[in-house]
Amino acid sequence: MTPIALSVNGRKVQALVEPRTHLADFLREHCRLTGTHLGCEHGVCGACTVLIDDEPARSCLTYAVQCDGLAVQTIEGFNADPIMQELRTAFSREHGLQCGFCTPGMLIAARDIVRRLPDADARRIRVELSGNLCRCTGYLGIINAVESVIAARASKPTAVTSQAAAPPPAPLQAFAPTGEVARASMAAPTPAPEEAHKGWTRFEESFVVARPPQAVWTIFADIPAVAACLDGVELTEHDASTAKGKMTVRLGPIQAGFSGSAVIERDDRALRGTIRGAGSDRGTGSRTKGEILYRLAPEAAGQQTRVFVTVEYSLQGALAQFSRSGLVLELGRRLVADFAANLNARLVGAQMRAAPRTPFNAGRFLWSWFIDELRRRFGR
Amino acid sequence: MKAARFDYLRPGDVGEALAALANAEGAKILAGGQSLGPMLNLRLARPALLVDISRLKALQQLEDAGRTWHIGAGVTHARLEDARGRLSGGEMLSEVAAAIAYRSVRNRGTIGGSLAHADPAADWPLALAALGASVNVRGPTPRKILVAHFIQGAFTTTLAADEIIESIDVPKLSRAGRYGFYKFCRKTGEFAEASAAAVLDPETGVASIFLGALRGIPQPLTSLAQQVAREGKIAASTEAVSQALAQSVSGLDAVEHSMATAVVTRALMQVLAP
Repeated sequence: MTPIALSVNGRKVQALVEPRTHLADFLREHCRLTGTHLGCEHGVCGACTVLIDDEPARSCLTYAVQCDGLAVQTIEGFNADPIMQELRTAFSREHGLQCGFCTPGMLIAARDIVRRLPDADARRIRVELSGNLCRCTGYLGIINAVESVIAARASKPTAVTSQAAAPPPAPLQAFAPTGEVARASMAAPTPAPEEAHKGWTRFEESFVVARPPQAVWTIFADIPAVAACLDGVELTEHDASTAKGKMTVRLGPIQAGFSGSAVIERDDRALRGTIRGAGSDRGTGSRTKGEILYRLAPEAAGQQTRVFVTVEYSLQGALAQFSRSGLVLELGRRLVADFAANLNARLVGAQMRAAPRTPFNAGRFLWSWFIDELRRRFGR
Repeated sequence: MKAARFDYLRPGDVGEALAALANAEGAKILAGGQSLGPMLNLRLARPALLVDISRLKALQQLEDAGRTWHIGAGVTHARLEDARGRLSGGEMLSEVAAAIAYRSVRNRGTIGGSLAHADPAADWPLALAALGASVNVRGPTPRKILVAHFIQGAFTTTLAADEIIESIDVPKLSRAGRYGFYKFCRKTGEFAEASAAAVLDPETGVASIFLGALRGIPQPLTSLAQQVAREGKIAASTEAVSQALAQSVSGLDAVEHSMATAVVTRALMQVLAP
């Protein structure tokens, strides 16, 4: 618990808070100021908007400890505020609310618009209010209310100074470029258009392994060896066709630990296999189901193997709610690419692909490979 | 929707913040918290310690440094938005800032935090890459690196666990220089589905176009930028842009290609507007 002292609606408040308590929970549960509403709790809906040091902010994305020494103003704290009085009257008149859930956030955002943008037209008001969701009114009443307050204020004699428009710039002249900013290109194959499982995400990858197909096929039957090439995978039990384990996934600050199981089918003649799996991460309450199809084809006159991989998966829970599909796709591709690099390294002892994002994993792998080599050479 | 437990530290200066990062396992910098907050609340991120740098005075400077704008990592999007008309040669910064998320997010979200977070759909990695901006990193060894090299992939940068972004240096455009920035969002303020930034400056010779909101890093369209610099409008037609994208950006499906073509074309229309 951390001691904090802040001002809430002009009143001094002291409390002991857990750092993880966000400001909205603190206001509602400690200060009993339940006018601040919580809709989404991840910064999308705007219902929890309050003022922190006079600026509108999401109270679900700011923790109470961060407000130590600051001034917070909630919807309960505007009774003496003339703009808020005008907005309340206008919201009532224009049908700017129905159930009222979004209204505290709407009013605080609207007051900011009136103060900051005295020239805002209906379109600008819409844009500025886009961070506050309303499920009842269809927004029109809200826009009309804000517009009417702005219009009434503009008709008062207090003149608003508007900025002088800058002179229009001259058109761009043709020139010989010299100092462009470049970056090595990023290549990612096109995802296949059709999906076998409705609503599942699908991607295809292929990579080359520096061994003949039969040799690669044998290694793919060795479940611990395959698992060792998957970064973050820990195998807990397995037999010839099933495997259970854990998988830790990291993407920037995101970390998820999936526990799950998989069933493996192999077609020895066609050199094709299917891995069907499912897992869940208790921490984020995310669940995933997936299917990996792989197929081996000879390359370089049969001395090497091209592995074609088709991955299809569905993701549910917090990870899916947060993520845009491209990110999980990127993660999947990265796993396949790292798998290919690790597999090649394991097979030929080649240098690991330079991968600055996973120095630890790469190091860990080389170390275990080194230990394996020692065991192989000098007996166990 | 409540964050997992974490400890919280508000260091008094940058040195103290660096010491905390160096000494604590699982420490994470909290700048504006507008991207990290949702990840914490959804428990996708579970750091052991948050080091809150949002009030560090040393990270708040917004200075005219002659050929560049020197911007502290803790400068909020709203501050850059409100600096419209006062950032000579850095007008693009105000324009980009004003279109990030919503005002209540811009009031707390910071330029340094956005770069460190490196969301592929975010606006700063794209705009600052196109502007040729560089990041001043503080850590055991201070270093300076181009934004375009700093971003390594989705949510991945070259920032080490014991480093923080101190400031960003943004080269100014000359009076003859032009910029364009365009993004498609499902809804105003949402993350972009496609985005593009273009900077062309006859006086400095800079010609850069970047495509953003991909799965990884912002992608430079170098030869297209050079062609537009030499030939102007002809090289910026929808067909020319579409072709350039087909040649230099792989992994786009038909819809993505079409959106990418549109955002690049529209960014270039801003650059070439009479």
